[in-house]
Amino acid sequence: MRNTEVKQADAGDAIPICSLRVGTGLYGIETRQIREVLGTTAPRRVPLAPEYIAGVLPYRGEVLTTVSFRALLGLEKWDGANCVLVFDDEENKERFGLMVDGVVGVIAVQQNALEANPSGLDARSQELFDGAYKLPSGLIVRLDPQRLRPSRLAESGLFGSENGSHERLKLERQGEQ
Amino acid sequence: MRVKGVGGKGKRRWANVTVGFSVGLKVVGQGPDKEEVEDLTKEFLAESQEGLERMELCLTQLEKKPDDDELVAEIFRAVHTIKGTTGFLGFGRLEKLAHAGESLLGALRNQKLTVNTGLISVLLELMDGLRNILQTIEATGTEGERTTDNDDALIARLAVLKAGELVANAEPTSQNREVEQPIQSSVPDAGQQALPAVASGVAVAAGSSIQDKTLRIDVEVLNRMMNLVGDLVLTRNQILRSAPGAENFPELARRLDSVTAELRESVMLARMQPVGHLFRKYPRMVRDLAKTCGRLVRIEFEGQETGLDKSLLEAVRDPLTHAVRNAVDHGIEPPEERVKAGKPMEGVVRLRAFHHSGYVVIEVIDDGAGISTERLLLKAIERGLVTPEQAEAMTQREALQLVFVAGFSTTQEVTSISGRGVGLDVVRSNMEKVGGSVELESRLGSGTTLRMRVPLTLAIIPALVVRSGGESFALPQNSLVELVYVPQHEAEHAVERMGTTELYRLRESLLPLVWLDRLLGLEHSADAERHDFYIAVVESEDRRFGLVVDDLKAPEEIVVKPLSTELREIGVFSGATVLGNGTLALILDVAATGARAGVRPAAEEGTVVDAKPAEDETAQIELENSMVIYETGQRQSSEGGDDGRMAMPLSAVERIESVPLSEIEYAGGRAVLQYRGELIPLEDDANVLRALAQAEATASTGDAQKDGATATVLICLRPEANGVRRVGMVVRRVLDVSAGRLLAADAAASEEQLAMVKNRVTAVHRGFAQQAGKPRTAILKEVA
Repeated sequence: MRNTEVKQADAGDAIPICSLRVGTGLYGIETRQIREVLGTTAPRRVPLAPEYIAGVLPYRGEVLTTVSFRALLGLEKWDGANCVLVFDDEENKERFGLMVDGVVGVIAVQQNALEANPSGLDARSQELFDGAYKLPSGLIVRLDPQRLRPSRLAESGLFGSENGSHERLKLERQGEQ
Repeated sequence: MRVKGVGGKGKRRWANVTVGFSVGLKVVGQGPDKEEVEDLTKEFLAESQEGLERMELCLTQLEKKPDDDELVAEIFRAVHTIKGTTGFLGFGRLEKLAHAGESLLGALRNQKLTVNTGLISVLLELMDGLRNILQTIEATGTEGERTTDNDDALIARLAVLKAGELVANAEPTSQNREVEQPIQSSVPDAGQQALPAVASGVAVAAGSSIQDKTLRIDVEVLNRMMNLVGDLVLTRNQILRSAPGAENFPELARRLDSVTAELRESVMLARMQPVGHLFRKYPRMVRDLAKTCGRLVRIEFEGQETGLDKSLLEAVRDPLTHAVRNAVDHGIEPPEERVKAGKPMEGVVRLRAFHHSGYVVIEVIDDGAGISTERLLLKAIERGLVTPEQAEAMTQREALQLVFVAGFSTTQEVTSISGRGVGLDVVRSNMEKVGGSVELESRLGSGTTLRMRVPLTLAIIPALVVRSGGESFALPQNSLVELVYVPQHEAEHAVERMGTTELYRLRESLLPLVWLDRLLGLEHSADAERHDFYIAVVESEDRRFGLVVDDLKAPEEIVVKPLSTELREIGVFSGATVLGNGTLALILDVAATGARAGVRPAAEEGTVVDAKPAEDETAQIELENSMVIYETGQRQSSEGGDDGRMAMPLSAVERIESVPLSEIEYAGGRAVLQYRGELIPLEDDANVLRALAQAEATASTGDAQKDGATATVLICLRPEANGVRRVGMVVRRVLDVSAGRLLAADAAASEEQLAMVKNRVTAVHRGFAQQAGKPRTAILKEVA
């Protein structure tokens, strides 16, 4: 799968993206936006924090707040291997981590393969996703780290802020389907 | 200005800057120019403020040593530098004022004028003027163009003084009279101006924000840091290059360890600032304040070089200013009264800083009237803060601490009677915020000492690590009062309920309980009350409650790391820290935890708390009679099965120490212990030491001595014929602290005193019974 896509990248203004696996979905983030990828970690849970906060990690002498992408998607907790991507946000001086199930690899995609969010996405998906790359092998949903900042997630108010929101989120999703 | 005549490439940068200034400040400049201007302005502001601070110090010194040319030169330099730089930066108003000042100082430097009080006052005014403009620039970026922003009056006064020089030259004999003529008019003026300046001490502190953000570091320190970073990189390279399991790995790890430690130390050192920085502004403040209050006050410093973390220095600034102001305003008596009391006319306020056991202590000492505790107590009773009975029992020291009670200090009458106490509660809460403390000592007639204790750094605090719901949390030691262990068989009955509130009887007073795991929504076993648990009795911001946790871990010095905003907003955690084992622990904000659990501050409950001891005096008395219950080695099972339970009045026990057996020495067959530089005898009636030594001997035959056995020693104060002396009691283990009541001595019985503790008759260690009920401070006084 990776080989075909690398070939594709030969033409024109290809950009490298890091493809991620969360649940059964594939997601992509531009590599230049990622500061570092950490291997399996066990973030320290923070009681009373919103469900989408996976916890805190020690990182370069700081305490890194880590967002669980699974929780954002309303998926079950996952105890297996995981990866934490570290993002920097120079403007707001906010550094945070994003916990995903795993990193698949780096692929190069062409800018014109990107299409904006279609209408008809529910509000939460609209908030989380930033379009999708149409690849022959399937769609890779594009993520914008800036949209996943803990402060922004809190502001959006879409993802619950108390314990138990996880269950509520799941129920709502089931209702939608 | 400089733009003209500038040619060639080399000078282009200058040209840019100057153009940027002449236009940039009013019309917001474009891109890099604006930034450069801002940087330069910032640097200028920080530098000028430092210059003014030096000038302030020199001026007040000059008043005492009018002939010191060095001081005049220093002041001249400060003003001259400001004038020079302002002209370049294009601040016309500032330049004009500085110029007027400079020419006056020039005359002074050339000894065409002589120093006198009036001249100093005007120069101080000049300094205020300059400082005001600097503050306006800092706040708004301009010098201020309102009509009120006018220095003409001041400039005119400076000019008049300068003119005095001519008169003086013409008529040397009448010099003083002539010169003082114009000054006379300016003196009351100066007083009026000085007053708001002093009153708005907070505003002045706030105005120095640029200084707060910048830090001057010795280039040597910086070089050393750079070298260490170089070393660090080198070591990293070696580690990266070395194969896994390489032989020299332990050596590399050791080097890494030492480099990191050194680097940390030098960064800490760079953050340290001498306390003297804080002291600089006080001579001026004291001078102005003394004038307005009609006192004669001299200020003295000691230990200015004592280093304190930069951030803490800022935190101490306001409380210290407050304390100094109090000392001058209320502490020192008017000159007439001082003479009557047989003291020198001039009062002394002494600022003293020194290191003491991990803290920096800053003392504000005055030789004023002191505080009358009797009147203080009268007032406190009147205000309903204490009952007459409580007041009776209070030691002088305890009574003095009343001035820190919120509400007590704000009343006008107390201020006029006791002479102290405006906003001292604020001083205390400010100090507590940074993990420090404050106390007051006073001797009627000879002065008062306010002692502030500040931790060396904010970033590292002592904490106790506790476990709850399977997770670790750090509890700052400064809010921890005591720890209570509730064993399994007592757990069921230990917790009592009133409505939904759970309570624990701690020495016969009810303590609200907060279960940490429940509060935080952590998983907890349903029968939590069935297994043993610990109660951490905590107190913060007047909230006192028992925090129930599953287990206690070792106390640790923790490095505080801030949390991100979203997590801070939860409110219960003040930060996080990495524990020794590499895992993260959240630091509990004790006050917020209590608030979340609905524990109200004692002050809000005021009447309830105050009324309780009065209603139930016996409870109060029993509290005083707290006993430490412990087990000696004696097995008296044949008698009544009390397995060697003994009691000791809590007030007699100074500390409970765990002492390694190896530290106990023997002199002439008697066990002694070196304790804080003092040799104290150990009492070991039950031969606990021998038993321990034997146990250790048998244990160590199999296994090498790993951590050595320790003995529990109660450091006690025992009254003797010639005062009180410390003795150490070796005990098997300490069981509890509980209220007890001495039983009337039975004449027929032996020398043993008996007490009723926890409904059991327990022997009180001989020689200590009479101390039951005495406050510890009273005993300590006897020691002294």
